[in-house]
Amino acid sequence: MPNPLQLLLPALIPSWNFFDVIAPSPRVEYAVTGGANVKPDAWREFRPRPAHVSSATMAARLLWNPRWNESLFLVSCAERLIDTPTAHSEDEIFKRIAADLARGPDKVEGWLAFRLVFVAREGEAIAREVLFEARPRALAEIDVQ
Amino acid sequence: MTLPDAIRLTQALLALALLQQSLEHLRGFRDERALFLARAVLCVLVLLGVASPWPLVAMAALSLLILHRFQGPYNGGSDRMGLLALWCLTLASLAPSTPFRELFFGYLGAQLVLSYFISGWVKVVNPEWRSGRALRDVFQFSAYPVAESLRALADRPRLLTVMSWAVMGFELVFPLAMLSKPTLIVALVVAGTFHLANACLFGLNRFFWTWLSVYPAILWLQGRLIH
Repeated sequence: MPNPLQLLLPALIPSWNFFDVIAPSPRVEYAVTGGANVKPDAWREFRPRPAHVSSATMAARLLWNPRWNESLFLVSCAERLIDTPTAHSEDEIFKRIAADLARGPDKVEGWLAFRLVFVAREGEAIAREVLFEARPRALAEIDVQ
Repeated sequence: MTLPDAIRLTQALLALALLQQSLEHLRGFRDERALFLARAVLCVLVLLGVASPWPLVAMAALSLLILHRFQGPYNGGSDRMGLLALWCLTLASLAPSTPFRELFFGYLGAQLVLSYFISGWVKVVNPEWRSGRALRDVFQFSAYPVAESLRALADRPRLLTVMSWAVMGFELVFPLAMLSKPTLIVALVVAGTFHLANACLFGLNRFFWTWLSVYPAILWLQGRLIH
């Protein structure tokens, strides 16, 4: 695990290579099953984007956009899990999915699994490939506080 | 703009930008709330100019804990610019003499120029950016568009090619705007509009506020270099 000064250095000597290459883009999908060894069969995209966002909402998000910024952090975690896998990235994704489920209207129990689907263009077609699947964890054991 | 005025204005704008981010984190997990509540308080102290420079120093130290918490920046480039600005302002405020203050603050202004120029350069050397294909990919399948309806822009290749060249062209000529104050002000208005568009289309609100907060540094640097 890099120390904070190692993490600070790229900020003090930045590369500024924003969007130089449009890399395959991760989507987080999750499933809840009845047991650790039950194979998930109903994957759902975590926080799918809405069909439309109004101009007023876009303007309001200039000042208050925590949910979207958290989703962008999960994109970073997903990319890190592929490039330099750590328990930290996996824990963060588990925690944030579990927290969303806990905030939902229905009580969700069981085992939570997630996978990372990377979307990319191959020629003119859009291809999807699962590059990571986490081992399920009991929802009751994930700290969402 | 004098050096003390430019530094003070940058401190205040950065404090507002970081305060906005900190408030967003207060809806997060317990450990996040503790870190960002502390940062919010420090932002207010910087904004009020209380006990200067120690709230800035404390924010710089706290930034290391936040980097450790997320094992890197929470939101990539925007957080990196925020860290750069915070550390440059902290070092400038602790510097023992004016030349050192100018060095640290000037470095921040110079990095802002580079942030545009290098972003343009890495795009223009890529054939997919020159053809407009890369921007089509951004809209077609990247994680950034805030709504599915925006993906339809990928079906307008001519428009996206023009937009690609507009962005690359602006970023590449940005350093020339340093030749005079009026051209720099025009360039910063265009750049601010670009960040605003990114905030609306891609939800990158942190970029908008963080980059704007550093504009006094480049305005001061331009005056320092040209006059």
